[in-house]
Amino acid sequence: MNFDLSEEQQLIVDSVRRFVDDNYDLEKRKKYTSSTRGFGDDNWRTMAELGWLGLPFGEADGGFGGNQIDVMLVMEQFGRGLVVEPYLPSVVLGGGAVRRGGSAALRSTIVPAIIDGSAQLALATMEDQSRFDLNDVLTRAGDDGDHWTLSGSKTMVINGGSATHLVVSCRTAGAQYDEAGITLLLVDATASGVEHRSFATVDGLQAAEITFNNVQVPRDNTLGEPGNGYALLHDVMLDGILAICAEAVGAMEMLYKDTIEYTQQRVQFDHPLSDFQVLQHRMVEMFMEYEQCKSMLLRATMEVAASGSGATRTVHALKALVGKQAIFVGENAVQLHGGMGMTEELRIGHYFKRLLVIDAMFGNADHHLYRFAA
Amino acid sequence: MDIDLSPDDLAFQKAVETFLDDNAYKPGTDYFAWRLDWFAKAREKGGWDVPKWPTAFGGPGWSPTQHYIWQRATATRQTPMDLPFGPVMLAPMLMQYGTPEQQERFLPDIRARRVNWCQGYSEPGAGSDLANLKTRAELSADGSHYVVNGTKIWTTAAHMADWIFCLTRTSDTGRKQEGITFLLFPMKQAGVEVKPIITLGGAHTVNMVHITDVKVPVENRVGEEGKGWAVAKGLLQHERTGIAGISNSLVALERLKKRAASVTRPNGTLLDDPGFRTKIAELEIDLMATEYTELRSLAAASSGAAPGPESSILKLKGTDIQQRLQKLTMQAGGLFSAAWGGGKVGPSFAREGMSGYLSSRAYTIYGGASEVQKDVIAKNVLGIARSETRMNKRGDK
Ligand SMILES: Cc1cc2nc3c(=O)[nH]c(=O)nc-3n(C[C@H](O)[C@H](O)[C@H](O)COP(=O)(O)OP(=O)(O)OC[C@H]3O[C@@H](n4cnc5c(N)ncnc54)[C@H](O)[C@@H]3O)c2cc1C
Repeated sequence: MNFDLSEEQQLIVDSVRRFVDDNYDLEKRKKYTSSTRGFGDDNWRTMAELGWLGLPFGEADGGFGGNQIDVMLVMEQFGRGLVVEPYLPSVVLGGGAVRRGGSAALRSTIVPAIIDGSAQLALATMEDQSRFDLNDVLTRAGDDGDHWTLSGSKTMVINGGSATHLVVSCRTAGAQYDEAGITLLLVDATASGVEHRSFATVDGLQAAEITFNNVQVPRDNTLGEPGNGYALLHDVMLDGILAICAEAVGAMEMLYKDTIEYTQQRVQFDHPLSDFQVLQHRMVEMFMEYEQCKSMLLRATMEVAASGSGATRTVHALKALVGKQAIFVGENAVQLHGGMGMTEELRIGHYFKRLLVIDAMFGNADHHLYRFAA
Repeated sequence: MDIDLSPDDLAFQKAVETFLDDNAYKPGTDYFAWRLDWFAKAREKGGWDVPKWPTAFGGPGWSPTQHYIWQRATATRQTPMDLPFGPVMLAPMLMQYGTPEQQERFLPDIRARRVNWCQGYSEPGAGSDLANLKTRAELSADGSHYVVNGTKIWTTAAHMADWIFCLTRTSDTGRKQEGITFLLFPMKQAGVEVKPIITLGGAHTVNMVHITDVKVPVENRVGEEGKGWAVAKGLLQHERTGIAGISNSLVALERLKKRAASVTRPNGTLLDDPGFRTKIAELEIDLMATEYTELRSLAAASSGAAPGPESSILKLKGTDIQQRLQKLTMQAGGLFSAAWGGGKVGPSFAREGMSGYLSSRAYTIYGGASEVQKDVIAKNVLGIARSETRMNKRGDK
């Protein structure tokens, strides 16, 4: 057992931290989120140049050969900085599906483009009726020999508007809720019949509603075996949950620390607010929950890195714990800041909003609690 | 002790429901004209436009049961938008502390909803510790007016208000609570500058108000100079009971159930989901108890007794319930709740759910933060204030 970072890992942490310090504050973030694509193009290039976009890809595909632990280190720093570049959808989710399920030929064309940042991916799984269930799929693809014909619609696709390629879950066999018969396809976002409508989400990011109208998808763009996409999707989702929980832990750290700092400066009743015992205890709880979430994050990440989907139950535990406690920490950060906590002016509100979205992504705390208990 | 409504109460209930139904807003017509007309008609019913006002000032003189009936009936039907600052908060203070001239001058416009008021209490350095306020009012040499300078913050609806009731400092000697003076002045004048503050839900409801060399005639002072704290605190009592919002929560609970039932799942709806159902049930049980806590408090108030311990619980319980309702609504929306400018994605309640949840975080901050509210209960109800001297120096808000 060893919780120390390797020299290489420490380098990653240091460089991401430096990037965040140099390129992120509320003002700059606002500039990125209000641009057309909703993030900083220069930042995206920097991430490519520093090799972060290639972190989890195999060396044979031109990647760094890293694993979930390396991604965790990056995402935790991103969480501290409220970074908005589409690392999660492109590298972790879309990239994760291609990396696991793409043929050698497909990987050789798309992976280098993901790594150099020229291609951006998004994972399109959610449908109007599907809520948190990945197996609830109505979008269909018909088998037309050398290509699939894809029809249906997806919603709340994070980065769906900027993505050059979409990883789409669709039904090639079976009924609405069947796990069998789901296939993952890599779809060119500019293909004829693909339409999207982008909108802002509460955390300042962008999502899209995407419709597919008889879109022809080459057979070689199938990720994994046709009909067996669910298991692949499950693995991608585990990575996604680990990544956003790492981000959440980074955000929680900032929230509890900002709150300590604020209550030490804010004087009411001739005393800094931090003199009041009830607030001291509250901040101790915020700190403890942050530490507990971090422990669970390490546990789940190391278990998945070691045994993949064998660690699914621990990932349910992680998402259940982080979802609940991130909201606890966020609500109390706002409460202890009083009126100031309710404004867009301080960063705590922005962390809070991001945490609310993280809880709702890939199933909220309740959803994972029931899965864990089942 | 019984819970039956008497025949008179039943008749009253029928009358109220008929009135509300007969005067409901008709879509497509002028909202503001309807609003003023509604209040005029409610007035003709015998003071239904100002349910809490005493009969001496034209209020209806209802029994607690009648108040209860009114609250429940209005919560389930559309009534005109009405901010509490004039009719609920300032009016009782004018009745208690104002001169007959002030009552004659201000109450009719408040009652007719012709003049909108805002509350100038909080300042950057005076939130929970309201008595720390620094906005200065200097009496002119001839004693005819005050000159006011300072900054107010979080002033709800200041951008829509015609007048402000404003706490100012006229003296620095003695305890912080002394030397506070309660002034009234118009918002639309040179020297009053209103700057919007955007809150987390994305809305513009609160503002920063800069006040520079604003002249306020002494006739606009409520109560004596330096004795404004009593007025300020009396008003807060009225603010707090309003914040509990039990009737609205009862309606919101039913709405939440309907919404959850509209979210389909493989084996039914979200309302059939054992986890979600349990959370709603816990909330409903708390709400059932709080409903009766409110009734006990109403009954005590009408029998002329000083507000009992029940009333201090109401703000804490009521706001907790409202926040949980908002949180469950947000959670019922799932990831769709994150769609901000999303237009048409997911159920329509989802977007409202997120902004509603974010706005609801303020309920435990304004009108006395929950932590401070508990201090007040510990001290005034349980009699267990801490003996440290530093605690004794604190304000009472
Ligand atoms: C949406 C909104 C609308 C508002 N509308 C108005 C308005 O119309 N007019 C107006 O005058 N004001 C208004 N307010 C201001 C409101 O009354 C203040 O925000 C409130 O009094 C708290 O003051 P503060 O924000 O300065 O927080 P602070 O006093 O700085 O307190 C911050 C936090 O510290 C904690 N705390 C403070 N004191 C203690 C203590 N003694 N013991 C333990 N914990 C403590 C509480 O958790 C509190 O939330 C509004 C506020 C909001 C958010």
